[in-house]
Amino acid sequence: MTATEHDEEGETSAAPAVWARGLVRRFGKSTAVDGLDLSIRPGEFYGLIGQNGAGKTTTIKMIVGLLRPTAGRAGIGDFDTWKQPIEVKRRIGVLPEEFNLYERLTGAELLDFVAAMHGLERSQAVERRNELLELLDLQDEAGKLVGDYSRGMRKKAALAAAIIHRPDVLFLDEPFEGVDALSARLIQRLLIRYTEGGATVVFSAHEMNLVERLCSRVGIMIRGRLAMEGTQMELCDRFGVATIEDAFIAAVGGDEGRGAVAWLHDSPG
Amino acid sequence: MVARLAWLKLRLLWNGLRADWQRRVGFPSLLVLLGYVSWILVGQFRSAMVTLTADARLEFTLWGALLFWLAWVALPVVIFPLDENLDPAQFAFAPIRPSQLVTGLAVSALIAPGVVIPVIVVGTAVVEFAHVLPAALLSAALLLGVVIMSGQVFTTLISAIFKTRHGRDVALLIVLGIGLSGFTAQSMIRSTVERLGLEGALLANRLDGVAALLPPVAAQRVVVSAENGDLTGLVIWALVAAAWIAVLGWVWQRLLAWMLTTPDAGPARSRRRSDRGLAGRGGWSAARVIARKEVRFYVRDPRQRLVWTGAVIFIALAAISVLAGTGGFGRLASREWLPLLAPALVLFVGLPIALNFFGWERNAASFLFVLPVRPRTLLWGKNLAATWALMLETVALALLLATISGGWSNLVLVPGLMVAAIGCQLAVGNVVSVISPLRLPREGTDVFAQASEQGCLAIGAQAISFFLIGVLLVVPSAVAVLTVGFSAPIPRWFANVFALAWGVLFYAISLGVSSSILRRRMPEVVNWVQTV
Repeated sequence: MTATEHDEEGETSAAPAVWARGLVRRFGKSTAVDGLDLSIRPGEFYGLIGQNGAGKTTTIKMIVGLLRPTAGRAGIGDFDTWKQPIEVKRRIGVLPEEFNLYERLTGAELLDFVAAMHGLERSQAVERRNELLELLDLQDEAGKLVGDYSRGMRKKAALAAAIIHRPDVLFLDEPFEGVDALSARLIQRLLIRYTEGGATVVFSAHEMNLVERLCSRVGIMIRGRLAMEGTQMELCDRFGVATIEDAFIAAVGGDEGRGAVAWLHDSPG
Repeated sequence: MVARLAWLKLRLLWNGLRADWQRRVGFPSLLVLLGYVSWILVGQFRSAMVTLTADARLEFTLWGALLFWLAWVALPVVIFPLDENLDPAQFAFAPIRPSQLVTGLAVSALIAPGVVIPVIVVGTAVVEFAHVLPAALLSAALLLGVVIMSGQVFTTLISAIFKTRHGRDVALLIVLGIGLSGFTAQSMIRSTVERLGLEGALLANRLDGVAALLPPVAAQRVVVSAENGDLTGLVIWALVAAAWIAVLGWVWQRLLAWMLTTPDAGPARSRRRSDRGLAGRGGWSAARVIARKEVRFYVRDPRQRLVWTGAVIFIALAAISVLAGTGGFGRLASREWLPLLAPALVLFVGLPIALNFFGWERNAASFLFVLPVRPRTLLWGKNLAATWALMLETVALALLLATISGGWSNLVLVPGLMVAAIGCQLAVGNVVSVISPLRLPREGTDVFAQASEQGCLAIGAQAISFFLIGVLLVVPSAVAVLTVGFSAPIPRWFANVFALAWGVLFYAISLGVSSSILRRRMPEVVNWVQTV
């Protein structure tokens, strides 16, 4: 069974680019993701936001096949992650929050490795690798081990590895953390052009200004559930606020009465 | 502060046991295993003691303390450690005085299953000298302090060497040196005891003259002095042993301070390598690229390099044994079938990698497993790399053994046996790798740190797997033997083809089974091998 949706008139609409149905993940007695339903359309730049521990990373891990759900299903397009994992992995690129790259490969070797795993031709792999390294200003570091890269450079290398095969869906978990301003701007432009070409980006971040600038639709996760979603305007209207940041703070219960720690305001000693 | 560090270690141990079934199984298993082995060794030591005169008996306890100390200090580096150490880097920002940190780390090192060994050894010493109980207890406490402190200093020293520019190569030489020295010392002691008898050997090689230079001997001299009624000696030797503990503590403290404030040396790691990548030349299929990536890690990862260069130690020891004619090895030099041992000997070398293909991925497993690679391709790629390394080492060893024994004519049987040995090793290794991958310590901290409970399971898994591989190799080995012995009823070509088919058959069956398991267990494998 695929995720192709049927509307009320019985007509078949295109399958969502990313979907989840009743997704649950429990760790012992605690529930990290609690019956999550998600449907992201092709070409969307979807922002997934929430407090620390809301279940964003766990959700992404279950959709990409790194964490087995306790219940529910998830997939990409017509493919179920847990029934057709290879088909799903062919169509996705992932930049996880904790990017665990092969530190003892050089930047060039890392990109070639990923390209080969995705079945790219050798010449195509070399061409794309060189273009990406140049775009991300890593061409002079191509022969250095990834383990010797700075945090920002590693992030850029991880991003290049995630997109070298031109995936249909790109999952980004905190992609701009540690990246310099110029590179961040370049990456943002690249991602916008990428979604204009019909690809989908699922973007998890805590930087609300980036969410406002990039995302066409936003989902807010609270305690493992997708509490609300909509366009930025819809979410702001719902709470009568002007920014996504305010809408998010209102959605999670506001910040009134928190952060007193009176002792911190005392003079030292 | 010392109590707090000890509490932290206790808490980490307890939390680890609660969170991880592997530790819940491994912890008691390790306690029982180590306790049993120590008990047997101590029993043998005591049996030997009763045959000695009073004078030799005291000397025997000094030698016992020395050898125990050497083994305790060196074995964690040569094999692998039995304990998960507290990482000193975690306390870099804490307002702890260096002396408190060192004492706290030493005390917390006592909260580990491995400590059952010194406790049994030292406890036995106390029982042996129960008639001078206060001195026996003082001596035992000092010996325990010396042993624990020395072990920590040595592993920290090796970790510090790893941080330096040529540290990885220097550390390899040290490990090689320990292996060779241990072997040489064992040979010398054995031949001396054979020549003079235990009593004669002890009395002819007294440690009195160098006791002050050897911390464990100084500690043991405390109780020996009490036994001889020498109260002044008791006090002096207690002071010497205590001074040694203080010196070791000071050295450890300096090493820790240096390690906490010195980054890993850059040039060796960051020197520019080829920027041709993996697409420059060589195979381009997924499996072949995985194999090439693995081979790069064999060379670039110091721990994997240590695994493969373990063969160097092995070959060196084998060659020295045969040439020097020590023990029963000397008789082997004249055996023409000696080269046929090469495939079996190399099995010892590849096991840490072949039984844990995914553990070596560490956290990068999550990077690998989001790539669209079929489990069969993944295993096949990793197996290709291991096969390449194992073949290289088998051929080198076979040629060496043929040179020693003159058994060139039997080299023709090596290819078949080599395929059988590698095929059976990978067959067992693939299944173990996907069923019970071993989580390796995070890189960049104490390079010898390892969860003790996992170490126990690793020992268990490796022992069972090695036994299984041995059983699988009985049939092709028997066929090979029938081509050189018992009137040689089987032609050599048949033995070669049979061994080759045997290895390929078991490998193919295992590849199918392990691929199927991996397809279903990928998330679990990622979870098992990732460090938190």
